[in-house]
Amino acid sequence: MSRFPLPVLWLWAFSALTQLFVLALLFLKGNFRKLPYFTFYIALNICQAGFLVFVYTHAWSNPSTSDTLAWTSECITLVIQALATTEILEITLRPYQGIWGLGWRALTVTSGTVVLLVVVAARGHWAWARWFELDRGYHLTFATALIACLLLVRYYSIPVPFVYKMLLGGFCFFSCSEIIVNTLLQAYFKEDFFVHRAAWQLLTMSCFIVTLTVWAVALRRALPVDDRKPASPSDADYQRLSPEINEDLRRLNEKLLRLWKLEGREQ
Amino acid sequence: MNSALILLIGLALLILLLLVWVLRDPRKHASPDSGLDSAEELGQRHVNYFPQVRQALAAEDLVFLSSRGTTQLVRRMRKERRKIALDYLSCLRADFLRLWRLARVIASMSPQVGAAEELARLRLGLTFSLHYELIRLKFVLGFAPLPELGSLSDAVSRLSIRLETAMNNLGERAALAARLASSLDDGHGLDTP
Repeated sequence: MSRFPLPVLWLWAFSALTQLFVLALLFLKGNFRKLPYFTFYIALNICQAGFLVFVYTHAWSNPSTSDTLAWTSECITLVIQALATTEILEITLRPYQGIWGLGWRALTVTSGTVVLLVVVAARGHWAWARWFELDRGYHLTFATALIACLLLVRYYSIPVPFVYKMLLGGFCFFSCSEIIVNTLLQAYFKEDFFVHRAAWQLLTMSCFIVTLTVWAVALRRALPVDDRKPASPSDADYQRLSPEINEDLRRLNEKLLRLWKLEGREQ
Repeated sequence: MNSALILLIGLALLILLLLVWVLRDPRKHASPDSGLDSAEELGQRHVNYFPQVRQALAAEDLVFLSSRGTTQLVRRMRKERRKIALDYLSCLRADFLRLWRLARVIASMSPQVGAAEELARLRLGLTFSLHYELIRLKFVLGFAPLPELGSLSDAVSRLSIRLETAMNNLGERAALAARLASSLDDGHGLDTP
């Protein structure tokens, strides 16, 4: 642990305490039953903190072993983070089966596009920091997919309880801050990798603590009972009406456009 | 800093901005005429007032006043007419947006949604907004394309009647589904999230 400056260690301890507090809230309010993956994600983060203490205090024969182990544990946490987010989105969109189906397709398309962009952007020469680039690529994909889903929810005016908004917003904020921090540090500290690592720890942990605080505020009460109406049992109305409405809207647009073109002659 | 890194930071900032916008409570920021809250609103559309607006903007009055040579009065009348037309156009847009939103409600209540249809509607909504802004600009500059405005009103009226019928059907179905769900809850204690 001596490889990290004291402020980073303090922040680490504070982060672990905040995570414990969020986990306690999840159990005390009974929210862990509705959010099992989210609870698992918080618990896994605490376990990861303990694991990292062991990894960084142990004397490894190969110095890169500690980094490889640390990043491997991060990969597992990130997979669970994706599952926890999907769980919250699924709860939010459960009564809206059609939109949930559309959401899945939107997620696949946006994620695929962003992965391609990440591959193009990661063609740099910063070989030492490939883990950081992978981490940034993941967060970029995650944040884009999540915001695409949230935009879909907003577009269809689907009511989302405050607590789920805060949980999803926390995930998105954290991913965006990771992207910004990783990119800025890559640009300004590429000469001194060890200074970069301490700064990275300091900044990302601060952002994570902010996220945890938002979650703690959101989870201070039991999750609301979902009384939203389920989707219509049949999609016949949609199948019949949707093309007709689109046709009408198209006609309206054409009329408006004609108005624009014919203006001079009207006068 | 190279362009790829700037692009990444820009993208992250854009996502953060979108996040703030998405997380705002839409009810707090909605304009008063964009809601579907009252059933009366559905029955009282701005397009219904088109005959009165057409009468108010009739060219005969202007021709008559011009022949009498009262230039100042003609100018004032033109200005007031333009204001009426602009107000009417903005009300028409509110009607269009309300109907557009109704179409989205129908989609959200359906168990299966076609991506192509939804994308097409999104594109139509965006083009309508663009056209609306262009026409509004023309009104501001002093034009008054009345006949086309009339056919536009008719189209909104037709669409509104069709959607209202569909919404009534969906409402009945949703009520039926809710009744079924509550009777299942009473009998078997289904766990809802």
